[in-house]
Amino acid sequence: MIDIQDLRTRARDLLVAGEVRAVIGYRRGSRGMLAEPVVITDPSEAASLVWDPTCFHNLALYLVADRKRLARRQSSPPEKPIAIVVKGCDARAIVVLMQENYFQREDVYILGVSCETTGVVDEGKLSRHVGGSKAKTLDSAVFDGDDFLFSSAEGEWRLAAREVMADRCLECQNPFPKVNNQVFGEEKVRQLGVPFAALARFEQRGSPERWGFWQHQFERCIRCFACRSVCPMCYCDECVVDSIAFVATPDTTAEEKANRIRWIERSAVQSENMGYHLTRALHLAGRCIDCGECERVCPVHIPLRLLNNKLEREAREKFGYEPGASISVPSLVSSFRDDDPQDFIR
Amino acid sequence: MSEPLVYEPKIVAFLCKWCSSAGSDLAGVSRIQYPANATPITVMCSGAVSPQYILSAFNKGADGVLVSGCHIGDCHYIEGNYFARRKLHLVNELLQFIGVEPQRFRMSWVSAAEGAKFAKVIKDFVEDLKPLGPQDKLKAQRP
Repeated sequence: MIDIQDLRTRARDLLVAGEVRAVIGYRRGSRGMLAEPVVITDPSEAASLVWDPTCFHNLALYLVADRKRLARRQSSPPEKPIAIVVKGCDARAIVVLMQENYFQREDVYILGVSCETTGVVDEGKLSRHVGGSKAKTLDSAVFDGDDFLFSSAEGEWRLAAREVMADRCLECQNPFPKVNNQVFGEEKVRQLGVPFAALARFEQRGSPERWGFWQHQFERCIRCFACRSVCPMCYCDECVVDSIAFVATPDTTAEEKANRIRWIERSAVQSENMGYHLTRALHLAGRCIDCGECERVCPVHIPLRLLNNKLEREAREKFGYEPGASISVPSLVSSFRDDDPQDFIR
Repeated sequence: MSEPLVYEPKIVAFLCKWCSSAGSDLAGVSRIQYPANATPITVMCSGAVSPQYILSAFNKGADGVLVSGCHIGDCHYIEGNYFARRKLHLVNELLQFIGVEPQRFRMSWVSAAEGAKFAKVIKDFVEDLKPLGPQDKLKAQRP
């Protein structure tokens, strides 16, 4: 188990010594026991940092947000790095961002936390076990090695880890942040599920059935772009589905408007939604580190991990590529091998 | 105009400038007979074909999409088709994963000397597409 005091002390020392300009971490949120992201610049606030199984957010997103904020101000990146508390999966996201030169290794001070055998809880699963929206009103979550203990004013629940852990955590093979400046906790793995289990189950279905499934899912998409907003890999300023560079002014002619390239329409109809999600999945190929945030934030519960997992497994099996493994290797689509599969080519 | 009585699939063919495009030209000047269903779009390299082009072609009503480039090792840009092979493998897998018929997306290597092969690729593609009927899965629906 990680002693949270170690993490707090380290964060405070870093800030006091002026080694970092901020610490991105988790603190107790205002929704019962759930944690929320926090950016700390004052050393005295370091005492509010927490680390427990409700820290499901991928904080790498805030590093991207910081970069964008600096770019908007057109100021050069500050010399001091920014410290960030990351789980194994989040650390891989940072590795991918560095692989793509979005920022450099010295721009980030990685405070790794090992999930050890815990993983993080899935809000949806938890709600089902403790009765509807009560998950928000729970006061505390403790992991005692095998089970989670939840308590609130209404009582206590002891739930087996596999009942409430997020699917990706059950399947996680690598809960340890390998790239780090300092790491808390030990390198332990407790794999409770087979990797890509849901994907393998889904692929048992025939082609028409798979089509029916996705047709239904993408009809429900409301194009809120929550999946895009929460994804640390979706950092483009100009998105293919949502052009911001094209500004229609009173002087813009009808012809200019008509000639503008729109790969995908904005309207939330099934065909355009499908175009959006397929494009996103392809843009994430070899980059998605399966933090599961897109699926978590989806207001209509589209199983987006299935799409991303499909390409992740494809990259692993056919190209021997593991996302977020190393900063120095070229990315999946900017590299090739002589023996890449080509049985689909005539 | 009335609808044609026989269904003719529409194919969008992305042909690389250096090999497949020249190959299609050779098929033409050699007067090889092959179906006229394919609309060729010349690109500089098969590696320049973004997955977006393919999705967009389906979105605009293509019944099949063909990407054709130089044989491995023969790329004018040395390695463009290696990148294409890897990228389009993922596109192919993803399209099948969501339940699009595997016959609808095709890739081929056709060199500038293979006019007959180009004709055969198109002929086979049309034959495979005909039983499937029009593609309406990825086609744009207007609200």
